[in-house]
Amino acid sequence: MARLNTEGSTRLFSPEGLRTARLMLYLMLSVVLMAMDQRGHFVPRIRSAIETGLEPVYHIIGVPSRVIQLVKEYSRSYSEVVAENESLGRDILDQSAAVQQLPALQQENRRLRALLDASAGRSFEFRFAEMVQVNLDPFSHQVMIDRGARDGVFVGQAVLDGAGVMGQVDDVHLHMSSVLLISDPDHALPVQIARTGLRTVAYGTGETARLILPNVALQSDVRVGDLLVTSGLGDRFPPGFPVAVIDLINRNAGGTFAEVNARPLAALDRGREVLLVLQKAGESESVISEPGTEDTATPERETEAGS
Amino acid sequence: MTPRRERTSTLVLALVVALLLTLLPIPDSLESLLPYWVGLVLTYWALEIREMISLGTAFLIGILLDILTGSLMGMHALSLVVMIYLVQRFRSRLRFFPPWQQALSIFALLINDRIINLWISSLLGEPVPTWQYWLSPVTGMVLWPWLFLFLDRTRAERRQHKS
Repeated sequence: MARLNTEGSTRLFSPEGLRTARLMLYLMLSVVLMAMDQRGHFVPRIRSAIETGLEPVYHIIGVPSRVIQLVKEYSRSYSEVVAENESLGRDILDQSAAVQQLPALQQENRRLRALLDASAGRSFEFRFAEMVQVNLDPFSHQVMIDRGARDGVFVGQAVLDGAGVMGQVDDVHLHMSSVLLISDPDHALPVQIARTGLRTVAYGTGETARLILPNVALQSDVRVGDLLVTSGLGDRFPPGFPVAVIDLINRNAGGTFAEVNARPLAALDRGREVLLVLQKAGESESVISEPGTEDTATPERETEAGS
Repeated sequence: MTPRRERTSTLVLALVVALLLTLLPIPDSLESLLPYWVGLVLTYWALEIREMISLGTAFLIGILLDILTGSLMGMHALSLVVMIYLVQRFRSRLRFFPPWQQALSIFALLINDRIINLWISSLLGEPVPTWQYWLSPVTGMVLWPWLFLFLDRTRAERRQHKS
């Protein structure tokens, strides 16, 4: 480019100048594309269409790891399988004991809600999905799952794993969807501290092992080890599901807010199976909303979040 | 088949393999060692045959890579365009380097690419990656001479096979 300027416009069409000009053109084009993909709606839509066409590629890529998995399953020894079966049986017994109380608790809950004149709570169904084993760009904070539009997946649907909230469906293809993880720096999740009921918002940081809670007031009652659950505000994530455990609190006297970090419970960077949350039909009245504390939840994917 | 079409088919094959290698799931511990396969393969072709890879081709392949890996549209496109531009610019010099010196230049190219990526990701609000982020160029450099020999061999074999 420097040469182009110093030697005047006659050099513009020399092979060298031409190449520089083309470099500039393509650089500009990619920068515009990046900006449009980040902010706009047009490019993501095109992208989604192309991705649907490329679904078979992901299937092919998943084959080796599926084969390895199969071989592993078959090559396990009898004693290992028996041991696992036993421990699973014990787990089921434990859990079924807990489930037996459920009808009674539900009954009680309904009665109390009636007493309080609150609307009925919601119940949910879950659908199993498996992650597509593919190595995506670590900066994208996405995973692919093997359910798509054909299976009734929709954008914004909450995705959990056995331990906690993972993220939400970001883009739906025909047989697959991509899930935006809660660790994405653009992701904001309305949460509530289980012990105190304090509501706040957990933001992703780009690290899979850390969420931040930037708007917890200095004097508020927060402790290391507190469990964060979804608050259900914003109608995207069902209320009451575990999200993360607070593992760092720094009450810096200078600021208005404490610095609070939490560690997500879901296996964001590993794991295979996930659950898609479905709201049961006919029970979709919204939960009663208590008059606000310091809640400023913006539930949707926060594209305006500072960058 | 004309030599040109045959070269193109070899190129496409190499690219498909590079894309699959990029997307193949690998254990987390090895992930930071994953070399920039597509970049290396494209560099090889840009070095070997002058008119094979234009900036436009690099751009389109980058877009494809962006879509497949789920990264921001244009990120890999930008990185590949810069890479191929530099290769074309210094092509005559790079071609006559001994292998180890060539590998060093490839290392410089890959480091430059990582810096560009770092710049884009920091604009997106991503945290600064750990030191492992810089391991990928090292694997790229180590693999380069072998990749070069391998692709040379493959090309020669395919040529013989066809004629």
